[in-house]
Amino acid sequence: MRVTIKSFMKIIRTILPVLLALAVSALLYGQGRPAPGQPTPAFDIDVTGYWTPALHEDGLERGGGPEIADYGGFALNEAGRLFALSYDPSRLTLRHHQCDAYIMPYQMRAVGNFRTWEERDPHNQQLVAIDVWAQTTEGHRVIWMDGRPHPPAWAPHSFTGFSTGRFVGNALVVYTTHLKQGWLRRNGSPESDQATATEFIVRHGDHLTDTTVVTDPVYLTEPEVRSNDYVRQPGDHHVWLYACDDGEEITGRAPDVVPNYPLGKQPFAKEYSQRYKLPLIASLAGAESMYPGYAAKAKNATEAEGLAKLEPAPNQPSETSRATEVEPHDGEIHVLPVRDNVYMLVGDGGNIVVQTGDQGAFVVDSGEGKLADKVIAAIRKLSDKPIQFIANTSVHAEHVGGNAKLGTVGSDPSLPGSFFDLQSPGRVTGLLTDPAHHATVMAQNNVVVRLEAAKAPIDMIPADTYLEERRRKFHNGELIELFYEPNAVTDGDSIVHFRKSDVIAAGDIFTTTQYPFIDLKNGGSVQGEIKALNDILNRTGYEHDEQGGTYIVPGHGYLSDEHEVVEYRDMVVIVRDRVQALIKAGASLEQVKAARITADYDTRYGSNSGAWTTGMFVEAVYNSLKR
Amino acid sequence: MSWMVLATIPDVYAQGRGGPPPGPPPSPKAAARIDLTGYWVSLITEDWRYRQFTPPKGDYESVPINPAGRKLAGAWDPAKDEAAGEQCKAYGAAGIMRMPTRLHITWQDDNTLKLETDAGTQTRIFHFGPPEGAGGDWQGVSSASWDYPRPLIQTGFGGIDFGFTLPPPPGGSLKVVTTKMRPGYLRKNGVPYGNGTLLTEYFDRFEVPGGETYLLVISEVNDPEYLSQPFWTSTHFKKQSDASGWNPTPCVSR
Repeated sequence: MRVTIKSFMKIIRTILPVLLALAVSALLYGQGRPAPGQPTPAFDIDVTGYWTPALHEDGLERGGGPEIADYGGFALNEAGRLFALSYDPSRLTLRHHQCDAYIMPYQMRAVGNFRTWEERDPHNQQLVAIDVWAQTTEGHRVIWMDGRPHPPAWAPHSFTGFSTGRFVGNALVVYTTHLKQGWLRRNGSPESDQATATEFIVRHGDHLTDTTVVTDPVYLTEPEVRSNDYVRQPGDHHVWLYACDDGEEITGRAPDVVPNYPLGKQPFAKEYSQRYKLPLIASLAGAESMYPGYAAKAKNATEAEGLAKLEPAPNQPSETSRATEVEPHDGEIHVLPVRDNVYMLVGDGGNIVVQTGDQGAFVVDSGEGKLADKVIAAIRKLSDKPIQFIANTSVHAEHVGGNAKLGTVGSDPSLPGSFFDLQSPGRVTGLLTDPAHHATVMAQNNVVVRLEAAKAPIDMIPADTYLEERRRKFHNGELIELFYEPNAVTDGDSIVHFRKSDVIAAGDIFTTTQYPFIDLKNGGSVQGEIKALNDILNRTGYEHDEQGGTYIVPGHGYLSDEHEVVEYRDMVVIVRDRVQALIKAGASLEQVKAARITADYDTRYGSNSGAWTTGMFVEAVYNSLKR
Repeated sequence: MSWMVLATIPDVYAQGRGGPPPGPPPSPKAAARIDLTGYWVSLITEDWRYRQFTPPKGDYESVPINPAGRKLAGAWDPAKDEAAGEQCKAYGAAGIMRMPTRLHITWQDDNTLKLETDAGTQTRIFHFGPPEGAGGDWQGVSSASWDYPRPLIQTGFGGIDFGFTLPPPPGGSLKVVTTKMRPGYLRKNGVPYGNGTLLTEYFDRFEVPGGETYLLVISEVNDPEYLSQPFWTSTHFKKQSDASGWNPTPCVSR
């Protein structure tokens, strides 16, 4: 059949629109028509390019910087307000704070340009992610557009958080979790690591607006809504910055110094209100300062009402943690790859670290032991070799509880015929007739002393101990070091550093879930706890702007890096300082407790029930310092 | 086969060739894809000190004001405004949305949205279509339109015009352009805008899953008389279930 050009064009004009319509409808409607009740398919707005913020709102705060006690328009709760008032900007001179990056909500608001681009699957052109690179603190943000789920509660946090996006109507809607602790403003107004953010990004011509709704159960009483405007640039502005290195800003300072102001003693608290002739209470009032009618109310407030906002409210019960529960409590063991051949196992009370390789598995802590069989099964999936070593970071039950079961299924081929074989407690007691068929359990010697005093079963008790400084072992291709941390949580604490993988198992010296369990009865002390946290920080490094680098596995909680340890160290030091000051002033324990000296941290770490309460923590600090 | 293919196509031709016979376009009210009506309360989370309180004279941080604007702002005298009966200078169209206020938005008729504020008891009229009225008052003359995302394809594939248009994608904003305003203040402390000011606003509505509903008003003020560049702000309001807190008050100049 002959096809003339005219008839060919006619065919093309007839068929092509059909094909085109099919293609476009597929693009528009994705997986077909929405089911009833499903959101209408949206338009994919283009947010790529180079963007410069328009600082026509809060320009002074975002540029030069905010003033102390300027918290107006923030729904800070008591904890947030007190945290901010205690904040001393000199804290940024500390080595581990000098390179703090901005958390995402502040990053999007800060001065500095942005570059935004798309990542597409090369095979089907589906949008995988939208990347945002920020000039200030070089924040690289990835907004996943491929429908992937958010990580579990025990996954690491970052300054940019974990973001997923979707197009709704004419907006790109982004939801972000797993943020690090940072600030709402650079004057210490805090945003906790429990905050989440929902953003609505719309574009009108070359004007992009990002509205950020931050929800923070720890420091805010209601969501904080702010919007940031950007203008599209025709091309690259060529003013990108480079990564931060920390340096020596103040020499000779003791390692346990964290600049802070005692509660109620912020010397600049009135400066802002006096400079702008505002009632003192105006910028301290929290959520009500956001609404119409507040100005009239503030003008009628007394000075005493303002002063009352500068310190914890008296005669109030302690607040309790509003943090997300990290422990899954689902009867399962969850495995989180940390780096290289090191894994974190979550689910059996305390975190467990497993290192695998050509040799048998090296395990740090054995959990409570309630799910020991599942722990063993999980380890077997990671390695077909037996568990060869178990290191205990402390004597506490959730770190040694699985020793017996895990040890029994393990074996240490280095033992038969060795000195340790012949001299091992098992040989002596006859309970362990063949040490080669039992993993070697290691710990600082006081763990053994405490377990024996508690009449623990023999197969729970470590057989390989050390007394001072450190214990070294080269295993599975890397150096593993156990460092003794005297009188921290107990008198037998160790941290375990996997040198090549650069992962530190911190035990209960560091958790993300509670105040440190300073167990005075078993030899713990607040001074030792602070020293131990600083010892961890002496061994860590960050990859970029106080993030990444050395991973820290906490005794309880989510996988961390040095930023979380620094914030935790700061908290312990600041509480120590407050208790110390009250002791110096002659306060009794009851007076210290009544002073609510942890009011700015209780919504994050506090508890009024269970094995470790806020009151017990304050008492442990007090008694440590009174000794 | 072709019919089978055609049968699978969604309603992409609904507004193009082969669709239902053309009728009169729906009214702006009927065509609304977002519902802006109801009561809203402003959230003063940005420029807090400048909005919640009257800032001191000469404090115009963040506003790209030019020398003429600075000169006029430096001469701000609220007593003089009161004596002249001009207490509402900060409640004009270019300033009112930044005030601590509640909004009540209703359809006045099928072609007109009405926005009332309790702060200063002001009323803005957004008429869809050509501007109506002579202006000269605080709120000027506003022309409204639905600003819907442009359809992906309007002129065909690779530039070939196939003679049809895809339906516009969902979602959108209300666009309001306001002119002919009586000169007023961007802030209560006399930061001025002139009578040649062009105010362009976009109203967007957002719903946080499981949370609140917000109204975002993006504003661009172009004033060649007193600004050195367009002045951009984005102001948010939270949806209210009823008229709670609605408290009409007169304008105050300080």
